[in-house]
Amino acid sequence: MKKYNILLLSLVMAFSSCDDFLTITPETQLSSVTFFKTENDFAQAVNAAYAPLRGYYNSQAWLLGELHSDNTFYMRNVLFGAVENSENLADFSVPVSNGTTPNANVLNAWRQLYLIIARTNQVLGTIDAVEFNEASKSNIKGQALFLRSFAYFHLVRYFGKVPLHVTPVPGREGAALPLSEEPAVFDQIIQDLTEAVPLLPQKAQQLPGRVTQGAARTLLADAFIYLKRWPEAEQILGPVISSGEYSLMPSYNMAFSKNSSNKNNAESVFEVQYREGPEGLQGSFLYQQLPYPLTVNEVRSLFGTTNPQPLDGQGNNIPTPDIIAAYEDGDLREDASIAYIEVSGRPGPNKLTPIIRKFQDAHAQHNNHGINWPVYRYSEVLLLMAEALNEQGKSGEAASLINQVRSRAGLGSSNASGQSPMREAIFKERRVELAFENKRWFDIMRTGRIQEIIVPYGQRIVANPLAYYFPPIPGAIPRSNVFTNLDKFYAYPAAESDLSPFF
Amino acid sequence: MKKYFQTKVKTRLFGLMLFILVTGFTGFAQSVNVTGTVKDETGEAVPGATVVVKGTQTGTVTDLDGNFTIEAAPGVILVVSFIGYSPQEITVQSGLTVYTISMVASMSALSEVVVVGYGSQIKKEVTGAIKSISGDELRDMPVSTIAQKLQGRFAGVQINQTTGQPGRGMQVRIRGQLSVTGGSEPLYVVDGFPITGDINSINPDEIDDITVLKDAASTSLYGSRAANGVVLITTKKGKTGQTNVNLNVFTGFQKVPQRGRLEMMNAEEFAQFKKEYYEDASRPVPSIFQDPSIYRDDTNDWYDALLETAPISSYNLTLTSNKERVNTSVVAGVFNQKGVVVNTDFKRFSLRLNTDYQLSDKVNIGVNVAPNYVFDNTPRSDGDRGTGIIFNALHTWPVMPIRNESGELTLFNRFPAETGNIFAYPNWVRSAQELTNETTRLNLLATTYIEWKPIKGLSLKSTFNVELNNARFFFSNPSTATSAINQAIPTIAASIRETSNSISWLNENIATYRNSINDHNFEVLGGLANQRFRLDQYRLQADTYADDRILTTQSAININRGGTFNNVQEWGLTSVFSRFTYNYKSKYLFTASARADGSSRFGVNNRWGVFPSTSVGWVLSDEGFLQGNKTISFLKLRSSYGIVGNNNIGNYTQYALVNNTVNVAFGNTITPGAAVTSLDNPNLGWETTAQFDVGFDLAFLDDRISFTYDYFVKNTTNLLFAVQIPQESGFTNFNDNIGEIKFWGHEFSINATPTKGAFRWNINANLSINRNKVMALADGIDRVYGSFHITQVGQQFGQFYGLQKLGNYANAEDLANSPIIPGRSTVGSIKLADVNGDGVLTFGGDRDDRTIIGNPFPDFTYGITNNFNYKNWDMSIIGSGSQGQDVYMRHLYSTANLDGVFNMVRKAGDRFRSPENPGAGIFGTTVGGGNVTGIERDWPNSNFVWDASFFTIRNITLGYTVTKLPKAIKSVRLYASAQNVIVFTNYWGGQNPEVSMQGNGQGDGGNLSPGIDLGPFPVPRTITFGANINF
Repeated sequence: MKKYNILLLSLVMAFSSCDDFLTITPETQLSSVTFFKTENDFAQAVNAAYAPLRGYYNSQAWLLGELHSDNTFYMRNVLFGAVENSENLADFSVPVSNGTTPNANVLNAWRQLYLIIARTNQVLGTIDAVEFNEASKSNIKGQALFLRSFAYFHLVRYFGKVPLHVTPVPGREGAALPLSEEPAVFDQIIQDLTEAVPLLPQKAQQLPGRVTQGAARTLLADAFIYLKRWPEAEQILGPVISSGEYSLMPSYNMAFSKNSSNKNNAESVFEVQYREGPEGLQGSFLYQQLPYPLTVNEVRSLFGTTNPQPLDGQGNNIPTPDIIAAYEDGDLREDASIAYIEVSGRPGPNKLTPIIRKFQDAHAQHNNHGINWPVYRYSEVLLLMAEALNEQGKSGEAASLINQVRSRAGLGSSNASGQSPMREAIFKERRVELAFENKRWFDIMRTGRIQEIIVPYGQRIVANPLAYYFPPIPGAIPRSNVFTNLDKFYAYPAAESDLSPFF
Repeated sequence: MKKYFQTKVKTRLFGLMLFILVTGFTGFAQSVNVTGTVKDETGEAVPGATVVVKGTQTGTVTDLDGNFTIEAAPGVILVVSFIGYSPQEITVQSGLTVYTISMVASMSALSEVVVVGYGSQIKKEVTGAIKSISGDELRDMPVSTIAQKLQGRFAGVQINQTTGQPGRGMQVRIRGQLSVTGGSEPLYVVDGFPITGDINSINPDEIDDITVLKDAASTSLYGSRAANGVVLITTKKGKTGQTNVNLNVFTGFQKVPQRGRLEMMNAEEFAQFKKEYYEDASRPVPSIFQDPSIYRDDTNDWYDALLETAPISSYNLTLTSNKERVNTSVVAGVFNQKGVVVNTDFKRFSLRLNTDYQLSDKVNIGVNVAPNYVFDNTPRSDGDRGTGIIFNALHTWPVMPIRNESGELTLFNRFPAETGNIFAYPNWVRSAQELTNETTRLNLLATTYIEWKPIKGLSLKSTFNVELNNARFFFSNPSTATSAINQAIPTIAASIRETSNSISWLNENIATYRNSINDHNFEVLGGLANQRFRLDQYRLQADTYADDRILTTQSAININRGGTFNNVQEWGLTSVFSRFTYNYKSKYLFTASARADGSSRFGVNNRWGVFPSTSVGWVLSDEGFLQGNKTISFLKLRSSYGIVGNNNIGNYTQYALVNNTVNVAFGNTITPGAAVTSLDNPNLGWETTAQFDVGFDLAFLDDRISFTYDYFVKNTTNLLFAVQIPQESGFTNFNDNIGEIKFWGHEFSINATPTKGAFRWNINANLSINRNKVMALADGIDRVYGSFHITQVGQQFGQFYGLQKLGNYANAEDLANSPIIPGRSTVGSIKLADVNGDGVLTFGGDRDDRTIIGNPFPDFTYGITNNFNYKNWDMSIIGSGSQGQDVYMRHLYSTANLDGVFNMVRKAGDRFRSPENPGAGIFGTTVGGGNVTGIERDWPNSNFVWDASFFTIRNITLGYTVTKLPKAIKSVRLYASAQNVIVFTNYWGGQNPEVSMQGNGQGDGGNLSPGIDLGPFPVPRTITFGANINF
């Protein structure tokens, strides 16, 4: 019997700690059960809400906001197919069926922006239940509120009505929400930003690169201007100018971030932060916004990298003849914004091709750079204020603001006088000052000028494809369906529509 | 009861007698030398037959003339046995010392004992669907993995060799079982221990028996791991009373036959194609293509350049001894295989030491220890364009030189842009030679037990088993080589180093009680088990080395953060299980069993699963009405039902995870970030399979022909599925148990001996039909798309999905009168079916014209094994085949890219060029550029789908047993063996119709999307010569 007892004892021992034996949580990752408990958790969580901005600005924002305008086009490479996702944006042929589109860029923009929203919702939905330093908490909440509104402001301008998530999604239930009307989305944006402004520190007190009170005011003013709520725009933007925290950099090309220097400079109100290196925080947009094919030597001479690789495919965001013509004579911004390079692989005799210069800077590794993307610059603050003032009949005050921007560009004062000519002058000034910064499409659509601008632009391309970088190869002409979709809003992404009962 | 006690007393007395014998009281009675000859029915001597003193472990083996000598006392019973014959008993008579024993063949071997889960059963009494094969039957095949040896051997077990990489790519599916995302491989149990490592690291020569458990009644004792079927592997033990030393050696070579290779254009054909391409487009022909004939004797077969004739050899030394109280076996093996793709190596050094020791009459202990070391290097041969060297080589222009004028391998090739060459091609031969992609594994499998039999019929057994696996992986590419396309050389030198250590331990405590009361025979088994697994993985990825000669981490400029990490995987499993087996007169059979598994993988609200089963059998041939029947010698009906699970759902799937590497930069400062990346599901559980089986075993003519049939139907529910949710939520999916798949099938096996006597022929054949149907997916989801597949409610799993090709637009009239793709279709371009009838051809979206265009699953699979014996000669021929399945020839998107960017399949020469010259109809016009040719290339369509039915002669072996031998040698058998002798198929996409890209989960190549051909490592033909020597 003794042997039995030993056996039984060992069995009992083996089973006594059954629950512990079967509770095995992951060792290499935290789980939500233990997260959102400390100040540090929230600091990390709000940082992660910035992360999708990198991908969005690197790969989608310029496709939806700049290529989809009269500022840039693609350079057709007939050897490549499967390029319709960018072509459709550039030549206004985004396919729509039942209010949805299969366009991958539209889909990815949607997903990146909602990722920001989900991450900020996680922060905002749990932060009030945890006690920690009030100043830190205000700062974190302010950043989260800004980022959420930022994402919604982009979504509402791309799509109009969108699902409005303001609390964390618990599971499969609640993952999809009905579309909210535009005013409801704007109400949320204005409410969030109004709350964020006093929570956020001034630029001098904030870690460079993070959201500041100035950034929140500028975003809110941009929203008010979109809604044509001019006095509110003027009122919220005033302190940004009067704070003395911002100024125009001495020259236009100094306004832009370099690969590792000149980031978040005096002119910068908000920019997307990239960092060169193997940590995965880099950008690669320079490489996407080039004419292809480029040989190793051509790539090396552009960027001075130690390991250049040839580039193939179809290049995008090539400055159009239209934007080149939009610069006044003597505008220093033209040379600062656009360069011309020899593309030896370009079919036909004409090898000289324009490229965007304003973001270019040398870096070490192929397809990996740390140049920040300018979202709001002080020159735009001046132009937004000019617009808000002009629309309230204060064209004189507007003129002094626009002239600050022009003077830096080596141009004389604007000769526009009166509200309507000043409106046009501001519109043109925005085009050249903010060229390739993803402002053009929003300016065209919010001012109701899609038909007026895009239709003749399309006619020019169809009439003269060679001027718009089509190769001199038989059959290489604009497709039959170009400039057939001039809708104000993008259709909803089909892949999301498949999963949502609401659109 | 009185009778029972008497029996017991007698047994005890007999036991005492044995005890005395065993412990060496040789003086007991007057032992004398008994000699004899063992013969078969035809009077031929039977060498190698076992002669044992009954009830002891004292014994000997007959020599080549069938003679034996043994020391035995009068009155003692000698048992003579040999495989395939009924054991014969003779009683040693006083004064008579010479005996002749005639053996009687027993084909049915129904008295054989078969291995089942947690024990063994007499074959006749088995009620489940199980099938076993002995190690001897598998010994001659010159292959690296066990699964290769099993191809075509079992009904209901489909085994495909998806790639020829040595030691890899074997896909085993029992009864067609598939999960959506979970694993679908069966559970491998070695000597009672469910292993977690790679079954292919086990030396096949260590195996005594392989038993496949198919139905739920056979597998349910493995509970939540049983749904994919169970393969029980028993390793070698000594045969009673014998000491045997065996040396099995073979050596030979492997080669890829010309027949069956994917036919690509040679340089002249390619130049001709390019010339026509430019002419048809009315464009000037680049100078290098103006005269294709200059390439007539100057082609570069990039695929062939990667191949070589490769040696293969194997050495196995086996020692088994079963004497006194110790049963030992030692198997030492060396297996060395080079691959037919250059720089491929597979080596295995293995040792197994199995020992059972009888401590006393009541206590046994056993220790099996098996360490092995496996080294494997394969250049990145398999994969899509830009990752797999073979695919890359296939589509590289044959006008590009492999070697320069001085005979050295070129670095890379790039032609001027006007030739249409848009990709730079590194030299793939150099890539294969210079890339390192090696894995070394050191494994230890140890099983130990102690068994105590306190009273007759009762056994208490405790086991403790450990499996240790250490794997080191090293990948490197120097700056001169890459497997990526369009990388200029020098490229960035990079490396990956990975170390994984895993430990799995299992403790089981099992009580078994067995008894017979009158004719009621029963066994009760109960057990408790705890198993725990932990894997620690370290990975370090670095790049930008200054010097190709030193690819150690400290010489790298960059540590790649994304590829550098630790991974820990852990699970625990606690189980209680029980089985009750009962039969009356071995005629009416009944078994019930159940296992309860508690698993760390299951959500906190759903931690325990219970898996019951029951089965019945009826041996009709023991009934009066069939007894003595001249034709039917055996007939058993059986049926079973049970519920089993699949717990391959991932270790932490139930938890909401926080990724704390979502870092950001502010200025140039890296700042840590963390985000919730998944949603939790506390209700997550196992996949459930309920299976019903009915079948019969039938034998005729004294078991000369035996036949087995099974029908099964299974319903798998609660499939683990990452249900896609709208990403406006911030998440991509929610892990849930959803859906229902129904599987059913028929299995037929036949075993017959058409001729006996001097020329003996045995034939064993099987045929399986497997079907499945998706009954349900998640709420609101009735289909799941892959890139080339659809899994849809009401249809079979993973069907090929795309547009249906009707031909090419023959002429302008055809184009005008047919549905087209506006702006893209032209005369000669691919003509597709307008499935929804809206007049426009559309891919995807609301006006989708896609439809099911093929089925990767076969109509039926079959295998056939023939064994012939004539005097000293033996021969076996093993074949297997699969009928009716399709393969998606995915590589055509490059190897038939009509833009002439890559080398083309030869068939593309005969394409559409004009209405007068429409070609063979497979490939369309090249005119119009990507806007036109892109349809055929980029829209998955039926032009990619081809029938891949095949029959392969897996192995032919011819052996000769040498008779005249020195005394020290018991027997010598010399043999020649050919593996993968010939493949009969119409499949033209490559030489392996069993191909299937290997992927994970819901991605391409996963369970939802089988049968994709990307041009993998070829399966060679192997010719070897061997010797099997017994000492």
